[in-house]
Amino acid sequence: MSSAIIDMAELLARVEDDRGLMRDLLLIFKEEFPQHLQALRHAVNSADGEKVAAEAHALKGMLSNLAAHPAAAAAARLEQLGRDREASQFPEAFTSFEEISKELLLQLDVCMAKVSG
Amino acid sequence: MKILIADDEIMSRTLLQKTLERAGYEVIAVENGRMAADRLCPVDGPRLALLDWVMPELDGPGVCREVRKREGRSYVYMVLLTSKESKEDVVAGLESGADDYLTKPFDPEELKARLRTGLRILNLEDRLVEAREQMRFQANHDGLTSLWNRVVILDLLGRELIRSRRERSTTVILLGDLDHFKSVNDTHGHLAGDDVLRETARRLLSSVRAYDFVGRYGGEEFLVVLNNCHPAHALARAEHICRNIGATPVQTANAAIPISMSFGLLKSQEWGALPMEELLQHADAALYAAKSAGRNCVKVASPKSSSADSHSQVHFPVHLRR
Repeated sequence: MSSAIIDMAELLARVEDDRGLMRDLLLIFKEEFPQHLQALRHAVNSADGEKVAAEAHALKGMLSNLAAHPAAAAAARLEQLGRDREASQFPEAFTSFEEISKELLLQLDVCMAKVSG
Repeated sequence: MKILIADDEIMSRTLLQKTLERAGYEVIAVENGRMAADRLCPVDGPRLALLDWVMPELDGPGVCREVRKREGRSYVYMVLLTSKESKEDVVAGLESGADDYLTKPFDPEELKARLRTGLRILNLEDRLVEAREQMRFQANHDGLTSLWNRVVILDLLGRELIRSRRERSTTVILLGDLDHFKSVNDTHGHLAGDDVLRETARRLLSSVRAYDFVGRYGGEEFLVVLNNCHPAHALARAEHICRNIGATPVQTANAAIPISMSFGLLKSQEWGALPMEELLQHADAALYAAKSAGRNCVKVASPKSSSADSHSQVHFPVHLRR
């Protein structure tokens, strides 16, 4: 299951086999992700559709660049719900996103170990 | 080639920057639309841009609109980066002035291929601008000497006369004609004659100030306009030009050909509001007088005698030519 969390072949193609760049991207993600996740949580709790859409959009972009498709799809769903002001569905969608993100973060550590050799 | 990338998301920015640097681009990376517009709008800004659609301060389409509003700026080829995929979004993006769009996350090969398309467009624009400038030059300049052509030099003289009348200053008209030019063509051939005309043009230009005008009036006749020239200095300036023309023979492929030029001089402030055409007739009469007086000299048109003033004749004997 964990292999589907990040499409390594796609990620390597995106960085044109530059493992240094891949490592840089993973580090940036690990540094940036918690802040965005926290901001998204806050927006969900406040039922602020505009902020939910904005934060989910940013996360979707980061995750897409990492070829982390399931997490990117979960972020895209939250973005759309935010745009549609479907506040009643924010908590469930956020919980789903958080669960996928936990798996993703574990997978990222494995990737980092591989890239760092 | 310089390229600007604008993306508020640091991972995308880093990925774009590295990918494009590897492809040989000089990358300028900024993190919002306002900074992008500020870098793209100046005339010497990058001509290629990758703009994220959603950005703080100003979004990608907003940047496109600002850049397109600028006139006199070389074309900027702009590609929008977007995760928006609906037809309406694409249409809105292109309507804002973007040339292309690319869906995120991008494929590096597709990104580079689309930028190569942009470079082809920019290259085409460069060639069109160059062709337009060449045509503009050809329309205004004499094909042989590259001096102003007759139409333009007369237009410049007309404007200068109006200005000098308004400012109560003097415009000096110098009508010059190469001496014995027909015999140059007959003796040395027309190619040598062309060399003489080109060198004469060069000597005339090097004898005047940057803000004076020199044009080919026709055949071997040249019109020199000395702008805002003090009347007391006009004759000395004309003598200087006359000396420069005949200073050394013109070296052509087969011979060194001695040349000289006769001039008719007219100071505009002495003639009131006489039309330009009439002033030129008087300058031409003075030139005729210079020819009659032995050539290689300057004669001044005088309104008192309405003919060339004989006291103003300055003659440079042939033996003084170096």
